[in-house]
Amino acid sequence: MISKLKHLLTALAISGFVISTPITATVAEPSAATIEEGKKLSFSRSKGNCLACHAIKGGSMPGNIGPALVAMKLRFPDKQKLVDKIWGTTESQVVPNSMMPPFGKHGILTDSEINTITDYIYTL
Amino acid sequence: MNKTLLIALSLGISVLATSSMAATIDPEKDRQQFVDFFKAKNPNITPDEYINGAYIYSADKMAQWEAAEEFPPYLDAIDEGEALYNKDLAAYQQCFGSDVSKIRVKYPYFNEAIKQVVTLEGAINKCRTDSGLKPYGWKKGSIAQVSAYLADNARGQKIDVKIESDAALAAYTEGRDFFNKPRGQFNLSCAKCHVDNSGRKARSNTLSSALGHTTHFPVFRAKWQNLGTLHRRYEGCQKNVRAQPYKAQSETYRNLEFFQAYMSNGLEINGPGYRE
Ligand code: HEC
Ligand code: HEC
Repeated sequence: MISKLKHLLTALAISGFVISTPITATVAEPSAATIEEGKKLSFSRSKGNCLACHAIKGGSMPGNIGPALVAMKLRFPDKQKLVDKIWGTTESQVVPNSMMPPFGKHGILTDSEINTITDYIYTL
Repeated sequence: MNKTLLIALSLGISVLATSSMAATIDPEKDRQQFVDFFKAKNPNITPDEYINGAYIYSADKMAQWEAAEEFPPYLDAIDEGEALYNKDLAAYQQCFGSDVSKIRVKYPYFNEAIKQVVTLEGAINKCRTDSGLKPYGWKKGSIAQVSAYLADNARGQKIDVKIESDAALAAYTEGRDFFNKPRGQFNLSCAKCHVDNSGRKARSNTLSSALGHTTHFPVFRAKWQNLGTLHRRYEGCQKNVRAQPYKAQSETYRNLEFFQAYMSNGLEINGPGYRE
């Protein structure tokens, strides 16, 4: 037990805040409340702050560092790929030197927050 | 145009190789590449214009800023810096000589005796403690005011950082690596914001280009409502990406300043400056 804990502590010390288990996209049809919550999380400066870099319908003063988030179903037929992109899995990081922060991998957002945001982004 | 540069531009790849070995690095080649990169990115902006930060990217913002600079909010700070300087004139003259217009341009430089980068602010405080005076705080207040007074007297002269030893090259290389390496919870590097994405907007903030970053410091920021040093700004940018900031005047930030100032060699000193 102690050695396990020690192992964990060392791992933590080395990797800092890096977490390495990606999450699965929700399959159930999200409720209107979930989508509203996802919108709030996406716009909030202290949470997703997606507007810092992406134009999103209904969001004021967006940045233009990343592409506008539109037609997401068309661009991400597989919802899991969208979750992975926001979470920041290694396979989803294909653009070199991208500004897109790895929200799950670096613990910026919780897994449930990422799922909620994805549910909202997927309606765009 | 250089083919690798074109590829770097189209892919948004950092202009300077991210990891490096001191032996293979040529600062002058780096600087030329840096300038060429910005030239290629914005053919209509000449290198000298980069001393005006993010304002060069918008005619409207530039007009507002120019209006602000006509009666700039840092004038009182320059006067206060002058008063502070004259109060301890004997000490300062012993350290810096009698011509106040010849001081700012010497910094930052690599001191071969102590094998460290010496910044203007570092030299001001060292001068004070060597003369038995109390050092100023590092980020704002008196240190920024004296620095502003010296910058104002040096306006129009050109940044001229020299690298003349392996130790100096090592300090430059550390600064360069720091600049290029993503860090913090947001996984962002200085280069991603101020090279790859300069001219773009993060919310409504236009990202300035790293070329010219050090010319106009210290800076009076509307957000601060007072004058701050370059290292204060470094701390701010690091906090914004949720990285643990280093201390103002730490070796890390002095090396970063050394690298950044070298990149701006040949550009005019126009401090103190005003920014949003
Ligand atoms: C600091 C800037 C930044 C922030 C903040 C940011 N992104 Fe991004 N994002 C980018 C950039 C740049 C790209 C394009 C490069 C890439 O795909 O990595 C991108 C790409 C994406 C893509 C892929 C788009 C496509 O068509 O391939 C999605 C989806 C996305 N972002 C969603 C989000 C969401 C949701 C948030 C907030 C939780 C967010 N981003 C926050 C910069 C950012
Ligand atoms: C998330 C993007 C981002 C990152 C990463 C970032 N900065 Fe900044 N930085 C900004 C913004 C936004 C401003 C304010 C607008 C401007 O002047 O660029 C700024 C301003 C500055 C300024 C003042 C420019 C001026 O004209 O007064 C300096 C110097 C600077 N940053 C250096 C750095 C350095 C060095 C790093 C890395 C340690 C860094 N920044 C990382 C976004 C960033």
